[in-house]
Amino acid sequence: MDKLYDAIFKGMAPLAKTAVLEALDNDKSPQDIIDESMIPAMEAIGQEFEAGNVFVPNLLLSARAMKSALEILKPLMMAGLTTTLGTVVIGTVKGDLHDIGKNLVASMLEGRGFKVINLGTDVSKERFIEAAKENNADIICLSALLTTTMDYMKEIVDAVRADGLDIKIMVGGAPLTQDFATSIGADGYSSNANEAVVVAKKLLS
Amino acid sequence: MTGKERIRTVLEHHEADRIAVDFGTTPVTGIHCKVVEALRKHYGLDDHPVYVHEPGQMLGYIEDDLAEALGTDTAGCFSPKNSIGVWNKDWKKYRMPWGQEVMLPARMVDSFTEKDGGLYSYPEGDKSLPPSCHMPERCYFFDSIERQQGEIDDDNLNVEDNLQEYGEIDDETLSYWKTVTDRAAKTGRAVVAGFGGMALGDVARIISPAIREPRGIRSVAEWYMSTVCRPDYIKELFDRISTLAVKNLEKIYSVVGDNVDVVYVCGADFGTQTSQFMSVDTLNDLYVPYYKRMNDWIHQNTTWNTFKHCCGAIYPLMDSLINAGFDIINPVQIAAKDMDPQRLKDEFGDRVTFWGGGVDTQKTLPFGTPAQVRDEVLKLCEIFSKDGGFVYNTVHNIQANVPVENVVALMDTLKEIRS
Ligand code: B12
Repeated sequence: MDKLYDAIFKGMAPLAKTAVLEALDNDKSPQDIIDESMIPAMEAIGQEFEAGNVFVPNLLLSARAMKSALEILKPLMMAGLTTTLGTVVIGTVKGDLHDIGKNLVASMLEGRGFKVINLGTDVSKERFIEAAKENNADIICLSALLTTTMDYMKEIVDAVRADGLDIKIMVGGAPLTQDFATSIGADGYSSNANEAVVVAKKLLS
Repeated sequence: MTGKERIRTVLEHHEADRIAVDFGTTPVTGIHCKVVEALRKHYGLDDHPVYVHEPGQMLGYIEDDLAEALGTDTAGCFSPKNSIGVWNKDWKKYRMPWGQEVMLPARMVDSFTEKDGGLYSYPEGDKSLPPSCHMPERCYFFDSIERQQGEIDDDNLNVEDNLQEYGEIDDETLSYWKTVTDRAAKTGRAVVAGFGGMALGDVARIISPAIREPRGIRSVAEWYMSTVCRPDYIKELFDRISTLAVKNLEKIYSVVGDNVDVVYVCGADFGTQTSQFMSVDTLNDLYVPYYKRMNDWIHQNTTWNTFKHCCGAIYPLMDSLINAGFDIINPVQIAAKDMDPQRLKDEFGDRVTFWGGGVDTQKTLPFGTPAQVRDEVLKLCEIFSKDGGFVYNTVHNIQANVPVENVVALMDTLKEIRS
């Protein structure tokens, strides 16, 4: 019985914390804890969400449990000892405050092995580019929920390309479609947080 | 038929002499002030700055001359205070960042702080408090600033904290409702009133910028999580809100009577673009009993019809919402998953009135051509208006970026169908 897996799947942050401490007591390495319990739990809850068996609040609770476990592990993971799948800079674009979906995408990416820098909401193209450079990011993720802010995504894509950054760009949010993503020159699109991880992995493979 | 008769007829699920129409009588069937200005110009109406009665979404007030030009069958009665809790009076001109001059209450305008190309405003316009609203650069709305006070301490969570913005209605407000509903009834149009105090779990209210010092659960994400991890707290809260609401409704009814045709009950969104914020079981358990308490009182004591706004892909929740006693569903977000107009009409059309769903606002209206708008309006009106049970409105408010040609195409098509 994997207590940590269970706590994350069911979205119980306090239990997740004690479970991580127990696992560490049993001499498990942070990387093993992440690989064997945390990633599978986030994968499982993400699939349940995609299948319509659980809902946004469940995913938010699981994300919170995952984060509280990760917080304990982070200081123990010395640079180089842990592997990440890549670094992602994510934010909701300028003029838009919808962040539930963006935060879920961030959590799914983080919970499945990416390093994630979450810039919040109302993020300008300059800040995306600056953060991408600072963190040597592999992917920029843009979220927009409004028809009045979708267009700004194109401005960001253009600015990133003009800057000559070698980086992938993924987009998403309620009103977006694959067609729109393609039309603005984004590299990836997904309509949900679970699939976003699959797309991100594909972009870096 | 008068507007009132027309709306009443379709609400009883009969076809009226022509399609019934609403623009601008609720905070979810309105038009952004930028588009209101363009429409006033298009129809050659008196040239003056638009009154913004709901600054959160920057909705422009549709005055009688424009209501007439648009052919609306409804007259709106709004809460006396706007989204930041300032009385909608003592209007003052203000130039918005996109260059448009609008009218806003002086108390709000005088408290604005400009910073980083954006604009901040304060609860009740009181600058001694931290700001509760922010209009960032290039944004067309006043976004609420989440003001959750630290982490939730479950052991000390007190339902009174989430009740701080609810209370017994005072005499000043009662006499306001009497005045505005009397005036609205005289127009001959159907009276739509938003008395407030009945919203259950509307996240826009949970984080309301009108509250001076918010306590309790005041973050959107925290609220959504609470529907899973704090069901007892939520039930207690809803029990208290709905009990108080009925008490207030009794008082309101005693002054406004049957002048009112439609009452806006709740704007909580249960749908995302592709899914729901809760299961059917959770809705039935947490919300429906309390909605029922308010809706049942209304149906047993008044001739009002109950209006529920609920965005997104809510097909699986429709039955529960109807069972909860809602006569009207809005905005009918037809572009969301499983929200096929014909299927909605076939399955629920005889039990509920669709108020909205008249054109998609995520693609067609902002990005389509006028011809595409026309085709869609024709098609949707044909589906939804059969046997009544339909009041024309777009899917939610008409947003700032919509080309005015498309709005005019919409209005012209409506005129064509209705003539
Ligand atoms: C909740 C909500 C709000 C909350 C937001 C709270 C918050 N902190 O986020 C509040 C009440 C504050 C709000 C405000 C407004 N809203 Co709002 N809101 C919604 C609602 C109901 C749900 C959005 C949501 O949280 N969904 C849940 C999440 C999990 O889904 P999601 O965001 O789509 O994300 C998923 C995918 O899209 C994808 N994804 C998301 N981002 C990314 C990024 C990448 C890179 C990838 C790969 C994938 C991805 O994965 C996510 C998880 O599966 C939608 C309805 C709808 N149909 O979506 C309206 C909606 C988006 N809102 C709308 C509007 C208009 C507004 C307002 C202007 C007010 C108004 N109604 O007039 C303001 C604008 C404020 C602003 N400046 O942004 C409209 C937009 C219409 C349009 N024409 O653009 C909608 C569609 C409602 C409607 N029926 O018309 N809103």
